[in-house]
Amino acid sequence: MDERISSELLGKRQKGKRINGLALLPFSLAAAALLWYLIAEIGGFPAFVLPTPLQVWARFLRALGDGSLLRNTLFTLGEVLAGLALGVSVATTLGYVLAKSPPLERFLAPYIVASQSTPIVAIAPLLVIWFGPGVLSKVLICALIVFFPVLVNTIVGIRSVPEDLHDLMRSLQATRWQIFRLLEVPAALPVLLGGLRIGATLSVIGAVVGEFVGADRGLGFLINVGRGEYDTALVFVAVFTLIALALALYGLVVLLDAKLLSWQDAPEGKVISTYGSEN
Amino acid sequence: MKRWMIATLCLLALSLAACAGASGDGDASQSGDLVKIRLPMGYIPNIQQAPFYVADEKGYYAEAGIEIEYDYSTETDGVQLVGANELQFSIASGEQVLLARAQGIPVVYVMAWYQGFPTAVVAKAESGIQTPADLEGRRIGLPGLFGASYVGLQALLSVGGLAEEDVILDSIGFNQVEALAADQEEAVVGYITNEPIQLRALGYEVNVIAVDDYVELASNGLITNETTIAENPDLVSRMVQATLRGIADTIADPEGAYEISKKYVETLAEANQQVQMEVLVQSIAYYHADPLGYADPEAWANTQQVLLDMGSLAEPLDLETAYTNEFIQ
Repeated sequence: MDERISSELLGKRQKGKRINGLALLPFSLAAAALLWYLIAEIGGFPAFVLPTPLQVWARFLRALGDGSLLRNTLFTLGEVLAGLALGVSVATTLGYVLAKSPPLERFLAPYIVASQSTPIVAIAPLLVIWFGPGVLSKVLICALIVFFPVLVNTIVGIRSVPEDLHDLMRSLQATRWQIFRLLEVPAALPVLLGGLRIGATLSVIGAVVGEFVGADRGLGFLINVGRGEYDTALVFVAVFTLIALALALYGLVVLLDAKLLSWQDAPEGKVISTYGSEN
Repeated sequence: MKRWMIATLCLLALSLAACAGASGDGDASQSGDLVKIRLPMGYIPNIQQAPFYVADEKGYYAEAGIEIEYDYSTETDGVQLVGANELQFSIASGEQVLLARAQGIPVVYVMAWYQGFPTAVVAKAESGIQTPADLEGRRIGLPGLFGASYVGLQALLSVGGLAEEDVILDSIGFNQVEALAADQEEAVVGYITNEPIQLRALGYEVNVIAVDDYVELASNGLITNETTIAENPDLVSRMVQATLRGIADTIADPEGAYEISKKYVETLAEANQQVQMEVLVQSIAYYHADPLGYADPEAWANTQQVLLDMGSLAEPLDLETAYTNEFIQ
């Protein structure tokens, strides 16, 4: 069979599978809600221990109606995006420099590993003392948690560029900037975006850790209020919103991935011609 | 196929529910002749918990047929565990009992340990903050917009004729000493038996506005749940009486209580002895009552009013069911 036809068929089959997967989602959610309902009802748990899905839904509508959910979600989202932007820019810049300079990487490695091995919950209170209880400390906590996966993936991505492609670019008398823009960035992108997927979900955790320590807005604050007022349904609402936020960010990175890496699925000749046309 | 899936899900739900149900009462286990009681203290091991250590060390709990296992988790966790009857007792503040009962958590306050609300606003002397009214327009740091610090501050603002909008509140976690020392905040809310003493020990001259000087609120005490009161009132009585003996002995002999506490609070021997002793003496000042452990109805009514004014309670509760003086007799 012709290769192109077979790949088209494969593509159709995969698309079919994806549609099936999406179609199953409501059933999967309904099954989870039913299971949850059964546990809450049969276990006879009071609402402050385990609220039923209906109680959480009612609380969700109330929080949505009085504006508190949207206000706090937007605040956390702001912290997460700012933290992501800061963490990703610092990590990719440093990652590129370290990828190009193994001695510097060895010199900084202990500090980089230390930054990852320190539990963020342990240093979050310190950041709040140093940078105040405002937004800055939360953004820094987000940036810190995002930093390591993006940094490591940047180093791995940049180093994974085959040396013969570098040789090819040099033989075409490409400038340093052209090598960076046309070879290194596209080649490192798949690994880098992998790091960003992890970073995007982690940054939500970072924001909540910061808000737990001290905040008067955000979803972490909402969880604290729910716990302080024994409103377990509100805790559930905030947790589910956090999950939705993390999923949305993850989905965005996947979309970005699909858009930026569409050339990967293209037939080989096209890729080469793309390089050629850019040059 | 679908039937099988549904049947499996139901089975899973049932077994999970059964497991969860079976875990109740797990911590009131009988070991020998003693009933094991896991007691959430709501704070890290600290000299402020001396009466419990004294009652333990002097064998008052053992005489009551109780073996105490200390648990240093948070106050809200303790309230929920007692409410769910996973644990039988916990330490909690009066307002927490009312907030919990408003959510259908059946906890009951059975012994008042602190007679006054121990939170206070602390400011550097040069700030000129001396009364609640002086807080207008000031930046105030507190652990969060919930809990005893928040309730105490709301009570003080109300006394000073101020609303929350008249001040700037910062949620700073438990960093009050650092935040005030570094002038990040003009005033902080903390425990009168802790932050002011720590700040003075660091050399700062501070003004203290104690909640207790302005309004009487229901403070820290021992809580249990309605099930334990109904099914095992004798256990509640024994627990309360043994704890009251610990409180009485701590009042009578602070130095002895301090020495005993060293066994239970690992860091106490290394800490600044003078500061820690002062923490204990200041705490003891809040224990006095006649009879010891008495829950004052007026304090409970005031607490409820503050919560209603704050909007934390939607409607008044039946206070008679929230606390009882039955077990201190």
